Amino acid sequence: MASERSFNPYLGWAIFAVLLALFPLVASGGTLRIFIMAFYLAIFAMSWDFLSGRTGYVSFGHPFLIGIGSYASAILSYRYGVPLFISIPAAVIITMIAGTLFFLPALRVRGSYFALVTLAFMEMTYRLTQVIRPDLTGGTRGISGLPPITTGAFNNYYLALVLMLAIAILLWALSRTRLGLALSAIGMDEDAVSGSGLDATKLKLFAFMTSAFVAGVGGAFYTHYLQSIAPRAMFDISFVFTIIVAVLIGGAGTIIGPIIGAFFLTFLLEYLRPVFPGTERYFIYGTIALLLYVYRPKGIISILDELWGRWRGRAPAPEKASAHG
Amino acid sequence: MAKLLEVDNVTKRFGGLVAVNGLSFHVDEGESLALIGPNGAGKTTAFRLVVGDHRPNSGAVRLKGEDITRQPVHARINRGIGRTYQVPRPFHGMPVSDNIRIGMMPNRLWQMLRHGPDTVKEREIAARVGFKPGEEAKSPGELSMGDLRKLELARALAAGPSIMLLDEVFAGLTVGEIALISDLLAEERKRGMTLIIVSHDLRSLGPLVDRAVVMSFGSVIAEGPFDKVMADKAVRDAYLGT
Repeated sequence: MASERSFNPYLGWAIFAVLLALFPLVASGGTLRIFIMAFYLAIFAMSWDFLSGRTGYVSFGHPFLIGIGSYASAILSYRYGVPLFISIPAAVIITMIAGTLFFLPALRVRGSYFALVTLAFMEMTYRLTQVIRPDLTGGTRGISGLPPITTGAFNNYYLALVLMLAIAILLWALSRTRLGLALSAIGMDEDAVSGSGLDATKLKLFAFMTSAFVAGVGGAFYTHYLQSIAPRAMFDISFVFTIIVAVLIGGAGTIIGPIIGAFFLTFLLEYLRPVFPGTERYFIYGTIALLLYVYRPKGIISILDELWGRWRGRAPAPEKASAHG
Repeated sequence: MAKLLEVDNVTKRFGGLVAVNGLSFHVDEGESLALIGPNGAGKTTAFRLVVGDHRPNSGAVRLKGEDITRQPVHARINRGIGRTYQVPRPFHGMPVSDNIRIGMMPNRLWQMLRHGPDTVKEREIAARVGFKPGEEAKSPGELSMGDLRKLELARALAAGPSIMLLDEVFAGLTVGEIALISDLLAEERKRGMTLIIVSHDLRSLGPLVDRAVVMSFGSVIAEGPFDKVMADKAVRDAYLGT
């Protein structure tokens, strides 16, 4: 008879962190760079999921927030010589202020209308960065030669890892509070949340601010890692879809799901590259994403959940909000 | 007895349609009031005006003498109005205990973050509406309609209301479930809870209420003790459509 084993999330996070921390000892620089990209995608995916996966307000314009963080730190550091330890926090604050702009449509529209408004935000910012003050934004060419936070794959790996883990643990801890439960409830029935005496507007504002905070942090660090920023790469619909697909593949409404999805997507695309150097690999990636979403709408995390249930020798527990934080 | 809730000359229009026209009624503390009328009478609109889903074009809603006409739904709930929905609206991804937890939460972000749930009180509320120990872990998808009604009541009670507004609380229930919910409401009455019940099930409603307000075409056509009101010719004509 299989014994019942309960999953300790603290132990799970610790093992996850230790394995990733030890990984550079055995990996090449090229592999570390793939991991760095996965870490940043995971940060963006967690940011998107905290807003859209929990509250149900699907954002198609998340690069607007990421881009504000990136551009703010890039302009402050490159154009005005502001040191990074000031430009990055300033960029995060600016992104959170921009997050309130992003929030305003959510006071009036929901569902697909909200998604379209956020898409408009992204497109508008794409145009504006090219025509308004190109001397600051670099216009269509963007800015290159940004100061790095640190150099080399090894250092950047640890920087991105610490950042991703810090954000993941912060969001996980938040999601385990009653506030996290209330945010998940908004995604299920916003009117019933108000009908339970909670100010849904205040809760949504908190979700938007937190999401903007994470997007701002991720955007600012990412742009200094790349040491460049360009509007076409930042405000691109395929960037939005990569973030959303990472969340959906991994498992929306959780913390570990977007991380798993980001890793899965990044490695899938990278390891398909030698076999399918052209655009065929996007077809394969799309097919896998589609199949996963059709047969496992709750993402890879639900597969892992089931495997864990079998390992414990009993059926998986009934679905519960924030089961994975 | 002191007036707990007062609806004063309230009118609500939807475009050219006057759904509620100069509606006035009140409910005293500890009283149980039925809000009844034929289909299209404006009962649900009146209910929604009281809980704050709609804002009236004119008139006022007062709770304990305070004008709450312009207050949003959550503010009214926090002032002591509990409500249930015509079609139960549980949070489907959460077990019974989490649904009750949402109802118990303070409307302050910092307190939500800082303090954990009061699981003892959650279990007490679950037991108060008739959930057996262990059933708090069930998800709404596993509950019968009667249990979903119980969950609605539990979530409303969790906020500590002084008055409960129950919309079509017997709809979709079996005879046994109606008896069970009736017993629960009778129990709440004994505890001194003020009730406003909107229902088409007049037979089940009768024993639960002190007084009835009958609406037709958005206005009150009769008001008084339930039996007396039901014998009123205008009320019978309204129900029979004559």
